[in-house]
Amino acid sequence: MKVQDQRRRALLSVVLVLASLGSASLDAAEGELLDAARAFPMTARYDGRTILVRFDVADGYYLYRDKLRFSTEPGTVKLGKPVLPRGEIRKDEFFGRVEVYRGSVEIKLSLTSGSPPGQVTLKTVSQGCADAGVCYTPREERLTVVSGGGPVSTPGPRTPGGRSLLEELGGKP
Amino acid sequence: MNSLQKGFLFVAVALVALAMGFYFNSQPEPEVSDAGAQSVASDASPNAALKTELANLAGGKASLSQWQGKVMVVNFWATWCAPCRKEIPEFIRMQTALEARGVQFVGIAIDETDKVRQYAQEARINYPILIGEFDATELGKVLGNNVGGLPFTVIFDRSGRVVKTILGGTNESHLTPILQPYL
Repeated sequence: MKVQDQRRRALLSVVLVLASLGSASLDAAEGELLDAARAFPMTARYDGRTILVRFDVADGYYLYRDKLRFSTEPGTVKLGKPVLPRGEIRKDEFFGRVEVYRGSVEIKLSLTSGSPPGQVTLKTVSQGCADAGVCYTPREERLTVVSGGGPVSTPGPRTPGGRSLLEELGGKP
Repeated sequence: MNSLQKGFLFVAVALVALAMGFYFNSQPEPEVSDAGAQSVASDASPNAALKTELANLAGGKASLSQWQGKVMVVNFWATWCAPCRKEIPEFIRMQTALEARGVQFVGIAIDETDKVRQYAQEARINYPILIGEFDATELGKVLGNNVGGLPFTVIFDRSGRVVKTILGGTNESHLTPILQPYL
């Protein structure tokens, strides 16, 4: 084989490898999307006065800051205004500048009732989207936290499940 | 052209190929994403899905079966869903352009009736809209929307068979060739 041919083949290999590298992640981007439970897992813990809620938003997904709602069950336990950290500004073609959360975010909820209970069921409504251009229906989740009892999580990446708000409304298990 | 020049040419082609790969990968919200696209076989009981009754904007009930015999493009959407809003003007244009060829777009909104009615008027949606909550989500699942994301678009042929599902946004240039064989 001539040296010139060898060079040509080597260069052709480089072209093919580079081209395949370029398209490999395109295929990955078209892979399966996570369901909301896996995309937006939530953890809460309670120290008797404050509930600390954490969302661990998966890479490539975001939660809308102004769509978050928190309440307790029973309703006799009242929450103060949630302390919501600043989010990332997202310029949306239709909704203008919206604040979103990516990665991990912690939200502080203070109980305002006189005698804090030993156990509280926190009801959370959240809504988010994937960067791939898919949005999820508003999701309602409940977590029962015990004072000093350690963190409690919604089904996350390892244990998919949970119910959407619409499933709750439909009354199905 | 000597071998050195040829070498440079190859490298230039390689760089262009790489750049194109990165360019397409770096699009944060692809115009067309059919990540969840899949053909749903008859075991998805499309006939039962077609008979599922949902609320309509007039306050009554309606099912997709009334449009059976047409090539149906059923789009699950919501007013709060930005990628849904982006594709709706394309559907409006396509409904006008393809109506005579037997294409029927139907929107299924997973949303509040008042918001849907207002948006449908503002956007001048020229195809029927059904509305639902749990029932509409379930219908989407039966039709292949396992993730529960929006927008989700399902194409039925004239016999009522699901021939394509698209999770994520679509547009006229993506949809037209998909519809073509069934017109």
